Amino acid sequence: MLADRPPFEDLYRDYLGRIYAYVRAQVSSSADAEDITAQVFMNAYQAYGRFEARNTSPVAWLFRIARNATTDHFRAHGRRERLRRTIEHQPLAFDDPSRMAEERLQYRALLDHVARLPERQRDSIALRHSGLTFEEVGVLMSCTEDAAKMLYHRGLKALRDSVHKEGE
Amino acid sequence: MSEEEDLELLALQRQLDDAFQTTRPRPAFEDELWLRMQARRPIMTRLREGVAGLVGGIWEAPALPSGAIAIALIVLLGAGIFTLGRLHPGGAGSATSGLSNQDGAGKNFGPNVSPEYGPLPVPAFGTAPGPPQALDRQAVFQGPVTLTWTGHLDVSAASLPVFRYQEPAQSDADRFAASLGARPSTEAVQGGLGLYAGKDFTLVVIGTVAQPAREPSFNLSELKSISSPSADPLALATAYLSARHLMPTWPYQTEVQTTAGTVRVRFLRSFDVPSQGQVALVDGAGNRYGIEVDIATGGRGAFETGPLPMSLASAGYPIITPDQAVRSALASSAPPTGSPSYPAVRLTTAEIVYTLVWAGDHSFYEPAFLFSGTFTYQGTAYVKRVLVPAVDPSLLTH
Repeated sequence: MLADRPPFEDLYRDYLGRIYAYVRAQVSSSADAEDITAQVFMNAYQAYGRFEARNTSPVAWLFRIARNATTDHFRAHGRRERLRRTIEHQPLAFDDPSRMAEERLQYRALLDHVARLPERQRDSIALRHSGLTFEEVGVLMSCTEDAAKMLYHRGLKALRDSVHKEGE
Repeated sequence: MSEEEDLELLALQRQLDDAFQTTRPRPAFEDELWLRMQARRPIMTRLREGVAGLVGGIWEAPALPSGAIAIALIVLLGAGIFTLGRLHPGGAGSATSGLSNQDGAGKNFGPNVSPEYGPLPVPAFGTAPGPPQALDRQAVFQGPVTLTWTGHLDVSAASLPVFRYQEPAQSDADRFAASLGARPSTEAVQGGLGLYAGKDFTLVVIGTVAQPAREPSFNLSELKSISSPSADPLALATAYLSARHLMPTWPYQTEVQTTAGTVRVRFLRSFDVPSQGQVALVDGAGNRYGIEVDIATGGRGAFETGPLPMSLASAGYPIITPDQAVRSALASSAPPTGSPSYPAVRLTTAEIVYTLVWAGDHSFYEPAFLFSGTFTYQGTAYVKRVLVPAVDPSLLTH
């Protein structure tokens, strides 16, 4: 096993945080992000025995599972999500110090803007800033590397405009 | 695209990097999820791997809290108690890498040591706010390895200072911003202490980030270029920081990294420690950090981020001996035998470092031993680092 792929424990420890951040940038609460992240790693753990490193990198494989899980979440909770997103500046429940610590993270507001971008722009930004190359982003999004770059840059400009608009 | 737009997008990308790198689940989530996953594994698989091999091999202590290890042991012992005789004997690994009080760690109290802050929080090692693909980083191996120590660790001090700061309030951030000539923006910053605007710059001040730990910091976007007597990146970065009176007041070493679009100049922080000289500050993964200045291509503006200037108090705390530190580092080794076989790493260097530990209203810079060794695995060169808290374990809260 060692020659083919890293131990699952390595993936878990190296990518739990990044997968969580990727998911968190797209959903509206830490609780949802935790649920989806848990589902991602549960699924990945069960499927890792069948994973073949020659087809894709473990990281791209993990992000593919995360992407599918996030899509499933939106399908299941689409209406609820849209309602949540229309409620801007929702007060945070700071009942748990550890949750408060997480929610205090510096650029929460920026990720909220990311979450409101069109789906493919949002995805390209979240994948790119989760550490994937444009080539990997393209593979995951079923488009070319150049198309992934274009989506990303459009997303970046839309994000800037969204941030500006709120500041006006 | 105009210069201003170019810079805006650069700053936005940097903010996104920070946002994604600092967005992490609450500290206990990693352990909780792992235990849930373990609980769902087929029972025979768990038995085959054995209690000792699993606990010693999977987890690279000290990242796993002892409570979670205890729960894992209960789960696994509950499943494996009847077949213990058949478990492979390779599990020499201890369940934790921390030293217990029985190690005699309390012998080092010196006459001048006054642990006046009481028991300290245990540092959370293994996580870093920085991206794994950061420019300078050697590939750091996070997985289990078998460890040996072949270096020489000579630390004669029986105690070291622990530094403490009080969490800044919004009024502190306002004062800092005012000292730079910036005024509060009407826009609120969720999770931050304040957003400010000055002539040709914007400033965001944030408080301590708990996990991965990062001290209160400023994030300043320069919207105009600066005149510098030299195009040298270090001179430019120094010019930017000096113009804002943000040059470090602490000892530092500099480092310059270049990519296609950006030059990054880093002022890596150290602490002046009596009897030890300058001791580096590292994050939970052992990476040095401090103030960073990103300079856009052609020097058209910059992005500066670094620790908010704060006053530090200090108090002496007894530390473990070098022998205890080595034992503690080696306790995180995976079992030397069994399947799978783990990479063998020789730890060859060790040094005292400081690492930030969030503790609410006050946070601490605590000393630690940083062990490291390089090795090659599947054709790639890695560095393995092991951090061990230096403060006597009897003065750490678990």
